[in-house]
Amino acid sequence: MTALTEPLAAAAAATPSGRARRVALNPKILAGLAILALFALLTVAQPLLEATVWDGKANVYDPRFGFDTTIAHPSAPSATHWLGTSSLGRDVFSMLTYATRPTFLVALTAGSSIAAVSLIFGSIAAYRRGWVDGFVSHLSDAMVLLPAMLAVFILGISRPNAEFGALHVGFTFGVIYGFGPAVATVRAAAMTVVAKPFMDAARVAGGGGGWIVTRHILPHLYAHAAVQAMIGATGAVIADAFLSFRSAVGEDVGFGMMVYDGIIWSSLMAGIAPVPWWIMVAGAGGITLLAAAFYLVGVGLREALDPRTRGVLR
Amino acid sequence: MIQTADRARPPRLPWFVAFLAKRLVWALVTLVIFVTAVFFFMQVWVPYSWATQFMQGGRDAFEGAREAVGLDRPLIERYVDFMLGLARGDLGTAFGGGTVVNYGTGPVVDIIRHALPVTLTVFITGSIIGWVVGEMLGRLGSWNRGRISGAAISVAGVLSATIFPPFLVFLLIRWLRQPLLDAREAMGLPRDSLDLWRGALVGEAGAPTQGDVRWLVALGLSAALVVGLVVRSYGRRHQLALVEGLAIPAMLLGVGVGIWISGLGAHAIDLLYRVDIAATTGRGSPGLALVGIVLISFGQVMLLMRAGMEAEGSEDYVLTGRAKGLTERAVRDRHVARNVMAPVLAGSFLTFPTVLAGMIIVEYELQMQGLSSVLFYAIEFQDIPLIMGVMVVLGLIGIGFRLVTDVTIASLDPRQRGGRA
Repeated sequence: MTALTEPLAAAAAATPSGRARRVALNPKILAGLAILALFALLTVAQPLLEATVWDGKANVYDPRFGFDTTIAHPSAPSATHWLGTSSLGRDVFSMLTYATRPTFLVALTAGSSIAAVSLIFGSIAAYRRGWVDGFVSHLSDAMVLLPAMLAVFILGISRPNAEFGALHVGFTFGVIYGFGPAVATVRAAAMTVVAKPFMDAARVAGGGGGWIVTRHILPHLYAHAAVQAMIGATGAVIADAFLSFRSAVGEDVGFGMMVYDGIIWSSLMAGIAPVPWWIMVAGAGGITLLAAAFYLVGVGLREALDPRTRGVLR
Repeated sequence: MIQTADRARPPRLPWFVAFLAKRLVWALVTLVIFVTAVFFFMQVWVPYSWATQFMQGGRDAFEGAREAVGLDRPLIERYVDFMLGLARGDLGTAFGGGTVVNYGTGPVVDIIRHALPVTLTVFITGSIIGWVVGEMLGRLGSWNRGRISGAAISVAGVLSATIFPPFLVFLLIRWLRQPLLDAREAMGLPRDSLDLWRGALVGEAGAPTQGDVRWLVALGLSAALVVGLVVRSYGRRHQLALVEGLAIPAMLLGVGVGIWISGLGAHAIDLLYRVDIAATTGRGSPGLALVGIVLISFGQVMLLMRAGMEAEGSEDYVLTGRAKGLTERAVRDRHVARNVMAPVLAGSFLTFPTVLAGMIIVEYELQMQGLSSVLFYAIEFQDIPLIMGVMVVLGLIGIGFRLVTDVTIASLDPRQRGGRA
């Protein structure tokens, strides 16, 4: 029975090297990293393909202005258009690779601002206690109620991409999510760190606030902040896709816009033309796979840390 | 905290009275901070200037529009006004659609009151069902680890947390609309929902309105649930397995039969699947929205529950339970699941903002006349008071969920009853 050996495995897992092994062997983290690697390949695929296979055919394969004059659009996947073409005659594979980079940028900006906000405010709140902690935790209680995605919609819907681009989406989402769920979680983890005996030792040794926070509190929080950054990035990817979905101009290519293209074509042409699944599946698949990659890494990390984090809500 | 309490020994109140009082004070403070955050987000961060729509009319028209809605007053004055208004239950007046359309003028409270019932019914029912489904799947999945079914449940959970809501709605409309329409017809409902409610619309005395039926169904279901829970705990205490298992289903069935006998069954079902204005597209259906909300909300709960169960499964008491001959099901449901429940509840509350945003997109894409359509309309026309009003109402819904979560956690875990407010 594996059940009998489980306590032993758990004891082994409690040591730091056990935790590293759990991270390295977690199937969720592995799957997430594999998908991320695939998308990283896709981002470099665009310039590579333009230099080789699509060389000199920019009028056909350009993600924004390409149009194949030899066939009717939207066309199903074929040898010349690997994922078919959209209703405007754009090559879907080219759109997919082109849209990957800004979406990555959204996720990275959101993730790093979430990590920064939650680490700074979580560690300071736990170290200073008193009114500082009261302020931070009350603020995070309130900010949990404010969906970061809606804030992004309020700022970004019906504004062109040049005015509210990937960096704006990522930063807005990251700050609001960071002050909400992320600070709540990281602060809870920091409270358990602050309660440990080595904190007293560090104080007795004459450590100042800055030294204690950076050397003794933050190292224990990086993993928790990474979990929040990854799970938050998921939401940022979906929020960005919805902005692209709703963009009235449609001049810039995004995953959401591809889904919109398919939906609007199939509702206009209901019963006349077949549903162009390839556009929608490419767009929605891109969103879900990229979001799932971040989500899987985040959830996997959370499981490897200790999922039974009590006292997240005060 | 209160030193005199021990000496004076007042009559002991049930724990939840003090607990609830503390949590309500906490909720009020949180609400004030939340509304302040929303106010400054909308008035400082968001670069809206609703009055720009009037710029074609020249400087006078622009300044006049700003003055008419009070955008020219100092920020602090607007803030104090907004907070005082909120204390009276007044959310201000919508700017209106500017020069374009006139939909949505008037007090924000009235606009929201009109849109709220649909949203509340669908959101609350959907997220409760989603939570229960997620909890159940997580419980089953953790005990099926290593089997295909366990992996499939995991994949479903991740998909649910990361799917693009508009695409999900497209799939729902495409694959679920016709079966639901057929089911509706098979039950002998009129093809047009208007036929059912005509009595109320023309003002016939005694004809049921949608509001009446909605309240009746909500009250009936809650009563059934409460009675069912009481009967179930009676059955559990007296070891009557049949009573314990059948209590809740029987009560719910009873309410269903009761509604049917009273002649309102068709109306109740129509509330769930309406075919009115947009009959050709099958949109505007709360039934589809409910399915969508359940599908996007169960995943995160499921993954939390599952990870918690798997970590808890290596505790000593699990071994003890097995050693003393408890069935696997008893170990899983009676012992492990109960220990995991409180942290999972707390964790799933933190997923609330993401799930809420997803629910709003689903509702909007199904073109229901709820809060989401008000919100997106207001965003389109930079109607600042209307957006703030919707955000405040969403915050209130969130606080309501939080209070329910806190009370549930406290009733599961006596250590949490101190209510560190």
